[in-house]
Amino acid sequence: MAVGQPAALLVAVLFISPLAAGLLGTFVQASAGADLLRNLGEVLNDPRLRAALVLTVFTGGLASVLVAALTSVVLVSAHGTRAWRALNAALPPLLAVPHAALAVGIAFLFAPSGFVLRLMSPSLTGYDRPPTDWTVPDAWGISLIVGLVVKETPFLVLAAVAQLRGLDVDESLSIGRTLGYSPARCWSRLILPRLWPRIRLAFLAILAFNLAVVDMAILLGPGHPPTLAVWLVQLVSDPSTRHVAAIGALLLTGIVIAACALVLLSERVLGLMAARRRRNGQRRPGSQLARRLGQAIAWILTLTGVLSLLMLPLWSFASRWRFPHAWPSAWTLQHWTHRLGSVFEPAVATLFFALISAVFAVCAGIVWLEAERRGRVPRLDSLWYVPLLVPQTTLLFGWQVWAIHAQLNGGWLVVMHAHWVYSLPYVVLILATAWRELDPRWMHASATLGVGYWRTLWRVRLPLLAGPVAQAAAVAVAVSVAQYLPTLLLGAGRQATLATELVAGQGGMDRRSMATLAVLQAVLPLTAFVLALRWQRRQRFAAPVAVVP
Amino acid sequence: MSALVVQDLELTAPGGEALISHLNFSLGAGEVLAVMGPSGSGKSSLLGWLTATLPAGFAATGQIHLDGQRIDSLPTERRRIGLVLQSDYLFPHMSVADNLLFGLRGGSRRERRERVAHSLELAGLAGFGERDPATLSGGQRARVSLLRTLLSDPAVLLLDEPFSRLDTARREQIRQFTWEQSAHLPVLLVTHDLADVPKGARVLEIGSPGRARATRLVPA
Repeated sequence: MAVGQPAALLVAVLFISPLAAGLLGTFVQASAGADLLRNLGEVLNDPRLRAALVLTVFTGGLASVLVAALTSVVLVSAHGTRAWRALNAALPPLLAVPHAALAVGIAFLFAPSGFVLRLMSPSLTGYDRPPTDWTVPDAWGISLIVGLVVKETPFLVLAAVAQLRGLDVDESLSIGRTLGYSPARCWSRLILPRLWPRIRLAFLAILAFNLAVVDMAILLGPGHPPTLAVWLVQLVSDPSTRHVAAIGALLLTGIVIAACALVLLSERVLGLMAARRRRNGQRRPGSQLARRLGQAIAWILTLTGVLSLLMLPLWSFASRWRFPHAWPSAWTLQHWTHRLGSVFEPAVATLFFALISAVFAVCAGIVWLEAERRGRVPRLDSLWYVPLLVPQTTLLFGWQVWAIHAQLNGGWLVVMHAHWVYSLPYVVLILATAWRELDPRWMHASATLGVGYWRTLWRVRLPLLAGPVAQAAAVAVAVSVAQYLPTLLLGAGRQATLATELVAGQGGMDRRSMATLAVLQAVLPLTAFVLALRWQRRQRFAAPVAVVP
Repeated sequence: MSALVVQDLELTAPGGEALISHLNFSLGAGEVLAVMGPSGSGKSSLLGWLTATLPAGFAATGQIHLDGQRIDSLPTERRRIGLVLQSDYLFPHMSVADNLLFGLRGGSRRERRERVAHSLELAGLAGFGERDPATLSGGQRARVSLLRTLLSDPAVLLLDEPFSRLDTARREQIRQFTWEQSAHLPVLLVTHDLADVPKGARVLEIGSPGRARATRLVPA
């Protein structure tokens, strides 16, 4: 007996059924009461829709374009330099930190009384009080765009770095440069065209996320009007407007599909233009200024992320921190001791969901990949991207309907299931390359020694893949800790986690308490990453992590 | 007519081990210098230094003059030194003709097309222009790779074990093609195989690592 079809099929059913049921449920809800077209008309005639749509497309679209552009800039200007290693070390922690915690840090950094202005005031700005010219969040959604760019660029850069390994970058650069092309032209003509197909799905997942994000949009986005996804969450909480929310969720899915289609169309057009440019043989000298500028942008981006994270502990221990003082004038543990009672339960719940869903996600990922390796199930890489491409609102509104019918809504089981569904894709995508590429002769060698299947799996394959497994588990923990909307909707307010508490605190909670919650939320995934890294280092024989989706 | 002059080259590996010391040589048009030595002796690093593509950690001092002009402070793309590696590195997202067009310098669109077609004919690859490089044989790929470099109009040609991956039947054919096409250039050839070295070529022997290093220039 070995890991086979039945176990893998169980994984597939547990993964696909809530996705299918969620979509169906949202569709059913959208056509509730009357008919779908009438409900659609009701939504389209709502005066709030136009503003929410414009804001959603502006923030989500611009943030995604900036993420793609900055990723290219980082790769072209920093790859192969001494700073490259430092940059690569700084990115995974930024990736691990939950969106909500980072959003709070960014608000602390760029607010009128934030750290950036404190550093420059009053000597450079003349301000001895926080200015009133702007706010964070702002009406245009600029703060939200900054938050999304800081959070999502490391994701795309790391996905690109993982894929560069198979593209002979150094050799291509050597050949291209000895043919007379500058490094930037070598990247744009030789490497980026081959890299793009490998990171296309990751970019589309970022685009879908940016258009449909809820927690970050509540914390950094404008409130009147909010983005479409935030407005829909407000509508779904009222039973009389649930069908409107469901229609809106389908509309949001349509926007995501249209945006993805636009990306694919642009890819065709840009591809044709790029092919023409490759044939014209034009060389121009590379610009050191442009390269330096690119490096500076990469550093500013990294620094913004790192400083945002540093703001959290700073505020959580600050007792007196008057504007324009750069640093707190007094420190205290009070915010921690006072809030200990109220944050204990959400912290334990967060830890519980994270650990259990990570364990189950890693087990399920191993079951699937092992069955796939043995030819029992087909390779379905695109399937794992479904929860990352379909807006959470669209899946969860419908999922909630079924959960209410099954009297599961509000229980920990359905919340856990949702966390698992959102963690599993990352686990499979991280593990897949290493699992598939591990030399089969290790297993053959074990089998010829008379060792059985399970013992070989346990004593040979898993230890050899300890690095990717640990990394996948850490990512699963990070994904679970960050889940806001699944916990809110399926937990029906009865499952409080750090994510739900932090977002609920927006507008009503003081900075220091927000910082305390954000620190706790950031510490959990960071600890998981540190433990995974330590484990990886101890297992020196383990295969390196081969891919980050 | 181009001439390459290397003066006082000192090349050190990342661990601090001296790979090449006090190397001086000059190479005129039509001359071939074969660089020979065991693995890890610094042969490819010498090419890396000449093209400014040495991996991080290597340290090198010395001067490179090309046609009387010092070029060792110039970036790779301005040195006019062509490089052909052991693997052909034909870009997989371009057709055979597009690979050659990518290498070719200057000319109108029509002239460029004509030159590429002529080059393909010269290499016995007429009609292969629109083919995917992956569909070519090893020998065909080696010819396209060499042509791509030559079309970029280099002043010097560096060949890093260009024949080692070819089967013995094709090797002689490609050697002949290479020496015919590059007869007007100074050529630096890195190889393990004496049979690769054309008649009249000088040989630069680099000592093995871990022992007292001797770099010896053997005249033609």
